Parts: sequence; structure tokens; C-alpha cells
Amino acid sequence: MLFGKHLRVNVAAKNQSTKFVLSLNLFRRNFSEEVRGSFLDKQEVADRIVGVVKKFQKCDPSKVTPEAHFQKDLGLDSLDTVEIVMALEEEFGFEIPDNEADKINSINVAVDFIASHPQAK
Amino acid sequence: MKLTGLQKQVLGLYRGFLRAARTKGSEERKKIESIVSSEFRRHAKSIERKNFIYIEYLLRRGTKQLEQLKNPDTLSLSTVPVRHHPS
Repeated sequence: MLFGKHLRVNVAAKNQSTKFVLSLNLFRRNFSEEVRGSFLDKQEVADRIVGVVKKFQKCDPSKVTPEAHFQKDLGLDSLDTVEIVMALEEEFGFEIPDNEADKINSINVAVDFIASHPQAK
Repeated sequence: MKLTGLQKQVLGLYRGFLRAARTKGSEERKKIESIVSSEFRRHAKSIERKNFIYIEYLLRRGTKQLEQLKNPDTLSLSTVPVRHHPS
């Protein structure tokens, strides 16, 4: 919940708040805006993800659509996919754990995951 | 495509290296990313998919190298070209 600029952290969510501090330190470089504690707009997320993927050297920017599957449509391999998910972490300023990252195989899945993630900026 | 446990471990190690690279200077980061990326791709091409023993060995070796890279005293990575002479 957001009160002004302050994020109220539930006491019970101890692990999560530690993680949050950790990712703040890791990604301090990318903090240009104030920390927003709400979910991002899905369309905005989709546009930013398409932008990140288009910048990825190994894929043809004209093939990057919001429906694109990394391996089937863009011809990327699993190592490329890891690189893209890492680039998304930097774009949205939070760390995606391995078990979640392994599931992200298309732009649609990435949009759903990031738009439903409260730490995405 | 569903990933096997071993594939997940390899991708996890790759992710670990890229995360460690982020903690280094920007020049070093680029260099580390380029070395790590070409090493993983070279092995992906040259190793038979079912050569589990060798893949597991490389995973252990890579994990140790990653631990060294994570050390803040480690500033960068370098490679030494090794020529294999046919005997």
C-alpha cells in the first residue's frame, strides 16, 4: 500500500522486505525515480519489454511483437533467453529468481509476470 | 520446451556469472560477459548432450570459478588461449 512516498511493509513479510532492501542495493544505479509501490500499467510494461528485446543484438527488431516467443519466433536459444531476462531485471529494477526466470519464454509471459510484480519499477 | 534439471543448473550458473559481472566495473563487466557467453556457447556446441559426466564436471568447475569471481577482490577475468596439437 502506498501512503505518499512511503511504502508500508507488513511485519509478517519479513523475508520479502529483506529481499527488497537487497535488490535496492543491487540496482541502486537504476534508481532515477522515486520508489513506486504499486503495479505498473500492463501496456507500459509491454512497450518497455518490446523495447528491451528489440535492442537485443541477436534478434531481428521487425519480428519483435508483443506476441513473440523467444525461441520459436525470434530464433533465440536458452542462453539468449537468460540474457534477455537479465536485461529485463535491469530495466524494471528488481531481481527475478531462477525458478521464475526459467518460465519466461515469451514476451507475453514476461509482461504478465512483470505487471503482476509489486517491485517492478 | 521443458528444461531438464541439468539444463536448469547450467542456465542458473550462466545467470550467476552474469549477476557477478554486474558487480564489477563497466569495462570488466563487458569483458566478463563476452568471455562467459562464448565459453557457454562453445561448450553447448561441442559437447554431446548426453555426456552427463562431463557436463556435471563443467558445472562443478564453473561453480568454483563463479565463487572466485564473486569475491570483491576479483576485478576481472582473463583467458589464455590453449592450442591443442594433434599428436
